[in-house]
Amino acid sequence: MFDLFYQFLSNTGYFLADYRQIIMIFVGCIFLYLGTAKKYEPLLLVPIGFGILVGNVPFFKGFGIGIYETNSVLHYLYFGVTTGVYPSIVFLGLGAMTDFSSLLAQPKLMLLGAAAQMGIYFTLLGALFFGFLPREAASIAIIGGADGPTSIFLTAKLAPHLIGPIAIAAYSYMALIPVIQPPIMRLLTTRQERLIRMPPGREVSRKELMIFPVVGVLLCCFLAPTALPLLGMLFLGNFLKECGVVNRLANTAQSAIIDTATIFLGFTVGCSTQGDVFLTPKSLGIFLLGAVAFSIATASGVIFGKIMNLFLKEKINPLLGAAGVSAVPGSAREVHLTGLKEDPTNFLLMHGMACNSSGVIGSAICAGILWSFFI
Amino acid sequence: MFGFENITANNGWAMAVVGASTVFLGLVILSFVISQVHKILKLWEERDEFLNRHKKQAQIEEPKKIKASVPIQRHLPTVTDLTSIYRPLVEQLKQPFDLLQLFEISNKMDLPHPHLSIKYLQQAGVLVPQGDGTFTWDNQKAN
Repeated sequence: MFDLFYQFLSNTGYFLADYRQIIMIFVGCIFLYLGTAKKYEPLLLVPIGFGILVGNVPFFKGFGIGIYETNSVLHYLYFGVTTGVYPSIVFLGLGAMTDFSSLLAQPKLMLLGAAAQMGIYFTLLGALFFGFLPREAASIAIIGGADGPTSIFLTAKLAPHLIGPIAIAAYSYMALIPVIQPPIMRLLTTRQERLIRMPPGREVSRKELMIFPVVGVLLCCFLAPTALPLLGMLFLGNFLKECGVVNRLANTAQSAIIDTATIFLGFTVGCSTQGDVFLTPKSLGIFLLGAVAFSIATASGVIFGKIMNLFLKEKINPLLGAAGVSAVPGSAREVHLTGLKEDPTNFLLMHGMACNSSGVIGSAICAGILWSFFI
Repeated sequence: MFGFENITANNGWAMAVVGASTVFLGLVILSFVISQVHKILKLWEERDEFLNRHKKQAQIEEPKKIKASVPIQRHLPTVTDLTSIYRPLVEQLKQPFDLLQLFEISNKMDLPHPHLSIKYLQQAGVLVPQGDGTFTWDNQKAN
């Protein structure tokens, strides 16, 4: 009887636990705390945090339990991540939720979305400098786009072994927008610049909103065909929303479909952070470079806003450059709040959303371009 | 391999420059195109007016054609008369309305030249396009 009891005990997680798994469980709890108590991107951090807990429960390897074991349930769910299916589905829902009217009303704000992508290319150089392989460097660089699904999509294609750390880094920095972005915005702008008011955008007709996804998908995907899985789905979702004749499909895409994909994406990415696979010096390097990428992206957006002001008659608020990263709607909200701190009657949210949505398009194009470099 | 040597060996500089300029170029083109879409749409929606203006210019150049167009106009009431005829019809419709609805009602009432009359009201600014294919009745212009 004692032998049986000992055998049972030796199969339990308490017996098999490794210090790396305990560390990761602690990280998972922090994610859950940030998501629930602080409400930092709860839709992402809660499934990821819980996934980290589940992925780091110690178990006997070889029984088809873990996410990296080919015949396990978690492995089948993870298939959607490694093939890039979940990110594409998330983009479909994102498109169905996005209102591009503020962008169409002021197309010049799209340039800020382009400028914020410079963080990606600076980080590409940085990652190569620190000795990462080119495919790994490209996957790390895309963290600068601040777009979780895009980062996962590109990493799945170029460096699948880094999906865990890159996804966690991307989502962590998206959740930490309120901590990372405001100091950079304040550092790079004067009070006078932060006080600049944006003129209200013109009224955008329904026809324009319908034409935009068609023009967008054609122009962007002809330029970077490898961005098709992301941009094709993004603009399809948006067209479903704007055409007005398939409301049922649009409603499903922006609710049930994106929610389902987000749950499985977040959960399986969390599960993929098994302590023994995740806690490596490379992961630490990815986290550091991710922070650099995100900060440079924010800074380049703001600086480009200031450069644009040198040439524009009607000045734009350079804070909007920070919303050029594609963390929707976190960075637009942060720009809005920073503007409100200086002038409680200066509302920048809609303008920020314009930059945000162009950032989504920009980072997907960047992912396509980076992928095409290695085809 | 580390440092600048690794960047150069893996074509990093070229990738960064080409990548950054491509994404910039793509978004610049897209922003330019979408900034022109509303202008093209406006031109398309006002194509009748544009064509009429063009025809009128041609008519000035060819006096015979002016003579030919006069009798058609002579049969039509003035804009003031038209507004008094069409106001009760428009009041039956919910604003904004489709021109097709107004046309159907005027047909039912057996009004003469409903197409031309509606066109004149539109040209006089009494029927105001909303940009989505519907129209509203401008009371100020109608008075």
